[in-house]
Amino acid sequence: MMASEPKPRYEMVNVQMGYVMVEHDLFSRSVRSYFSAEEIPPREEYREGNRMWRSAVAGQSFHFDVRDTSTGEIIKFPELLGLLFYGSCKPESDIYRIGQIAHDANVSIYIAITYETGEGTRVPLSDAKLGILNKVFNDRLQRKEKKILILPDLFDLHKTMSYGEIMIDVGLTSMEEGG
Amino acid sequence: MKLQEIAEKLDLKRATKAFDREVSGVYISDMVSDVIANAKAGNLLVTVQIHNNVIAAANLVDICGIVVTQGKLPTEDVVKMAEKAEIAIYTTALNRWQVATKLYEAGIR
Repeated sequence: MMASEPKPRYEMVNVQMGYVMVEHDLFSRSVRSYFSAEEIPPREEYREGNRMWRSAVAGQSFHFDVRDTSTGEIIKFPELLGLLFYGSCKPESDIYRIGQIAHDANVSIYIAITYETGEGTRVPLSDAKLGILNKVFNDRLQRKEKKILILPDLFDLHKTMSYGEIMIDVGLTSMEEGG
Repeated sequence: MKLQEIAEKLDLKRATKAFDREVSGVYISDMVSDVIANAKAGNLLVTVQIHNNVIAAANLVDICGIVVTQGKLPTEDVVKMAEKAEIAIYTTALNRWQVATKLYEAGIR
């Protein structure tokens, strides 16, 4: 009789589909982003104090929690906007070059991009949670020689990336064009 | 069943180098977020999407291969990315429903 696969320590639970919303303030040009679980993404302009927020991007995405199977603890990831694959970055960038070297060693690098606060900063993602995130995705792999390495945004990629580069579904309605 | 055997049964055209792996099931989706959330390692992904983020998601989840439907062809960049990730891409003129029924007829559950 074959031994059964060991149960992973962490598993993705409470998966909720929705939208990554990106808005900018018409007056200060501040940008903020958040997750909306509404069926239709909220696109109307609205005033909040001395700010007027206008929707700039709505990309289909999902939110999830992680359950520690050894303790039953639920760890939430409300700060995580999405993952950016190194291969989607500019070939001349440092992250692309590092990613290529890592990939040759069977390590695929992804960058965890967090939400924007509207105050010019990003919501921080702790190292402990990043460690759990790495465990979640590595435990799902079938090929044992393969590794996923999810890094924080050490390269400030959020300053130069476009939302289409992150692994969310931006512009999905145009998928039937071209190709 | 192995990927190459499925490709032969469905008369799929290979767009990348061959990376023959055991297929543990099928996931049909055109949403990157859906693939990350719900597909399983070893699944064959059937999709109409040819964006490089599909490869990024397939690599993250350890998808065994991709069938691109409706005559869509991946760009050279996407092919290179898939080969780097050792994920074979196949193409077909069939739509997703037709591919699904043929996979079922081939014995994939």
